[in-house]
Amino acid sequence: MPDTSKRIVDTRVIVETPEGVDFQFRLAGPGERAHAWFIDLVIKAGAVAVFWIVALLLGLTAGTAGLSTMAGVGTVFLFLVNWFYGTVFEYLMHGQTPGKKSLGLRVVRTNGTPVDIVSSTGRNFLRTADMLPFGYTAGLISMLMTRRLQRLGDLFFDTMVVDEKRGFSGRVGGLTTHVEVLSRSECSGRFQLPERTLGVIERLFEPERIISDARREEIARPLSEIIQKRLGWQPPGPDPRNPHAFFHGQGKRHADFLLRVLKTFSVDSFQEAAESVPGSRRAKGRQARQSGPGSPIGKVAATFAQDKSL
Amino acid sequence: MKRESFIKSRRGDWQRYEVLINSMQNKREGSWTGDNVSELSRLYRSICYDLSLVQSREWGSRLEDYLNDLVAHGHNCLYRSSPVSLYGIIDFIAVGFPRMLRRRWQPFLLAAALFLIPLIVSVFVGLTRPDLSAIVCGEEVLQQSIDSFSKDMYQQADWDYTGQRSFMFGFYVNNNTGIAFRAFALGALAGIGTCFVLLSNGISIGMVQGAILAAGEPAATNFSSFVITHGAFELTAIVIAGAAGFVLAQGILMPGERTRLDSLRFHGRESVLLALGAGAMLAVAAVLEGYFSPLPIAPAFKYAAGSLAWLMVAAWLTFAGRERNSP
Repeated sequence: MPDTSKRIVDTRVIVETPEGVDFQFRLAGPGERAHAWFIDLVIKAGAVAVFWIVALLLGLTAGTAGLSTMAGVGTVFLFLVNWFYGTVFEYLMHGQTPGKKSLGLRVVRTNGTPVDIVSSTGRNFLRTADMLPFGYTAGLISMLMTRRLQRLGDLFFDTMVVDEKRGFSGRVGGLTTHVEVLSRSECSGRFQLPERTLGVIERLFEPERIISDARREEIARPLSEIIQKRLGWQPPGPDPRNPHAFFHGQGKRHADFLLRVLKTFSVDSFQEAAESVPGSRRAKGRQARQSGPGSPIGKVAATFAQDKSL
Repeated sequence: MKRESFIKSRRGDWQRYEVLINSMQNKREGSWTGDNVSELSRLYRSICYDLSLVQSREWGSRLEDYLNDLVAHGHNCLYRSSPVSLYGIIDFIAVGFPRMLRRRWQPFLLAAALFLIPLIVSVFVGLTRPDLSAIVCGEEVLQQSIDSFSKDMYQQADWDYTGQRSFMFGFYVNNNTGIAFRAFALGALAGIGTCFVLLSNGISIGMVQGAILAAGEPAATNFSSFVITHGAFELTAIVIAGAAGFVLAQGILMPGERTRLDSLRFHGRESVLLALGAGAMLAVAAVLEGYFSPLPIAPAFKYAAGSLAWLMVAAWLTFAGRERNSP
């Protein structure tokens, strides 16, 4: 079976749908998965405790024999929870356990399709191996060594855990809020930029990309210089009354320039304005998203659909 | 097409699609109407096309992310794993499982050897060298086992019997199936864990058995008539679970012509099915061990039932699902 996912060095995995379109998943890291695991652990412990108490109380009404019968039933329940909790929920909730759901994680096959019950059983059984020698050490080592952050159970059964709560992160909220728009008078060249250039700039400022400011400046420079030439824009000299601001800004002048370009030419720059107004549609959308990570297709995305100004 | 005009013209479809997805995700698949599904799949395909257009023209990552999410949700909605059916389970037990096991006879033989040879050797050790088995298993464990089979177990099958046996039934399910599943799962460590589980259980079971047989009557008869029936399912299932562990290990160690990752997946799937089959056999064993084996009836009757059980298990695993050209 050829590997259809492409290699990139971050937590995103590109999967090709049967329709021949690439789309991305973001992988869940060990921390998130441990968190979900812990929530599930608490739920499991709680369920077993409640079951035992209820069962023993029921058994008590039938004397010693009833009590030991119920203890047997309780042990069977313990066994089922122990080995099949993950499988049952991943089957019923399409790849999510309650813990995973609360954090917006989901188990999928590595080709993006839903996990089936056999794979789910296998990956949950193999926790026994992943836990060795203590605290999921084997699983952690395996995750660090595989591109899709898979523990042993995932490797054998062709699954991965993806993070579905996404902060519609095309642009950081407020990234260009305090940036000034370029005015036409500043530029002597053609006052226009192709969409794909803006796309490249957006990518440089994506929040998931962990880049130091200095490195971003370094990457921004060649692009910024070309755009400056094309627009015919001259960087202003130091303001004689306040030279400090000028020299302070030198370390990120190209990155700052690209942000101004982005704000000026991006079609949806109006949204930044909407964002700064409290209680606006977009701000509400964000609250809704934060309260429910599982909510499908956050409201923000709907701005593309609702936006009247286009 | 320019980006703006593209968004304008496609907006309606995206909205409709979102509404559709949101309503369908909250409903069970059974209540989806045919019109909904066909509309969704039409919209899904067109949005897939939109996404690839946006990707190729690089129209900004925000738009791309948005469409990407539309596609992801649609993908989640439309592509579902096939449901488990009762017929599938029955078919697996009657045909699939024995066939699969026969196809995997090599790991099965390996597991059988690793479990049964130490077991038989330990029975002899337990019979002839009680000092040695006391060191391995502990004096106290052996004595307790001998005591529990020396007294008459049950006089009658009454309410009290049911209670105590239910308690033991729970214990058997949890303990024995746990051992089997562990033997399977630890196969992921190149089979080393499976070897360890099989060897250690073979040795300890054998030594206890040897010690009980050495204690003479009535413990020997009580014990033999007790274990023979459920042993048919229990011992076989432990070996099968070990075999499942070795199938996993085969994925790591012997990829053959596959890449190692493909080999893991290929062997992984069958190994789980084998382990689940072993789990089902252990459930049967637990019922027998819990309620039938200790019944206060003549040993001869238990021997007969036990022999029948062994014959049935052997016949099932050897002949079920056999066709002229299949294993």
